[in-house]
Amino acid sequence: MKKFLVCIAAVFVFAAVSAHAADSAGPMVSVQGPIQQGIDLLRDPQYKDPSKREAQRDKIWEIIRQTFDFVEVSMRALAQDWKNFTPQQRKEFTEVFTDLLKNTYIDKIQSEFQNETIQFLGDEKVSDDKAVVKTKVIRNGKIEIPMDYSMRLKDGQWKVYDVIIEGVSLVKNYRTQFKEILAKDTPAQLITRLKDKVIQQEKDRTTGKKG
Amino acid sequence: MNSSLKRLLQIAVFLPMLWAGYLSAAENPDDAYLKDNPYAEEEDADKTPAIADPLEPWNRAMFHFNDKLYFWVLKPAAQGYKAVTPDIVRVGVKNFFHNLTTPIRFVNCLLQGKPGAAGQELGAFMVNTVVGVLGFGNPAADDPRLKPHEEDFGQTLAVYGVGDGFYIVWPFFGPSTLRDSVAMGGDYFLTPLSYLNSTEASIGIRAYDEINSTTFRIGDYESLKEAAVNPYEAFRNAYIQYRQGKIRE
Repeated sequence: MKKFLVCIAAVFVFAAVSAHAADSAGPMVSVQGPIQQGIDLLRDPQYKDPSKREAQRDKIWEIIRQTFDFVEVSMRALAQDWKNFTPQQRKEFTEVFTDLLKNTYIDKIQSEFQNETIQFLGDEKVSDDKAVVKTKVIRNGKIEIPMDYSMRLKDGQWKVYDVIIEGVSLVKNYRTQFKEILAKDTPAQLITRLKDKVIQQEKDRTTGKKG
Repeated sequence: MNSSLKRLLQIAVFLPMLWAGYLSAAENPDDAYLKDNPYAEEEDADKTPAIADPLEPWNRAMFHFNDKLYFWVLKPAAQGYKAVTPDIVRVGVKNFFHNLTTPIRFVNCLLQGKPGAAGQELGAFMVNTVVGVLGFGNPAADDPRLKPHEEDFGQTLAVYGVGDGFYIVWPFFGPSTLRDSVAMGGDYFLTPLSYLNSTEASIGIRAYDEINSTTFRIGDYESLKEAAVNPYEAFRNAYIQYRQGKIRE
């Protein structure tokens, strides 16, 4: 799997070197492979055992880490407030926000995966370095949930910076939350609040409280 | 003379560059604050859906009330009900109530100038009522030509240009906007349940529908709440984004 990803990365680098980087390794291709790998992982019977959950989680995280650009996600989640964070705070924020997203969503994916299938509907170029990949998550063959990935081309590689589910953008949702918090608290306090939440999540996870 | 000419030249060169910079920044307002200078101040508020919230204290109180209502009343009732009720019955009840509200969707599709969608709703209604036995079954779901279209009067008004108004959180009903709340009155006349003589029966039946629906959603509310750093704001924003998405459809 790692080799496969390295090959993809090599393709992207090569594409970046050649003339029109934006067109060669398309956005949909960049996200299709990793998503399919993720689903295969979730379906893999060798991870059915609860003791294997951590291993499965780490593998899924590897895929996500390489497909998402968390710096972009963090920058956009703070928007205008980004400039009020010192470089050190920005780094801290990106790290803790990434952890928060990781804990929240991987747990959710792992525990609520019900053998959904994903239909890739295509991608749409918004500008030279931005595109939206549209997919549909199909549960039990009947329930369809539209899920779009906003992607940005950076250093010759398309990476995801936002996920839009049923019209609700993740980044925008967190943005309004952070905006409201930062209207009253300092950046340092926000970071502390996020850290506390992550610690709480870790605790819940290890005690097996939340599914 | 020489120095003022020089100054004039400087401005003549500088201005277009400023203009170009302004243009390129204005191109993608979403990223303008990231372009070359991530710390640049750009107002991208128009890209983030917002809604006025003059009733915030009330809304927060209602949000809290609904939260407790969910955990103390709705969820336990739904879990108890779910434990003793076979899946097929719960799905059947869900289908029944969905079928019953076809008039709302049908009329609003027409009002929004979507006769095709209205036709599909009508078709699904007929198939489900006859073949699906009064709507308990949902054979129409298997027909790709009969897609459901979740339209309501609030969306119709939005399509006609009525703005959100402001955010309201109702006890029991949950988040809404001024426009959508008023619109609920309009849809009221299109729901057969409204024509029941007995108020208790009407309320009782709606409550049952709610409990039944909740059995399919146990865990969703908790997930959203857990993912949020600021729950009140998270739900408010998610609701607005979701409504805007539905209106656009």
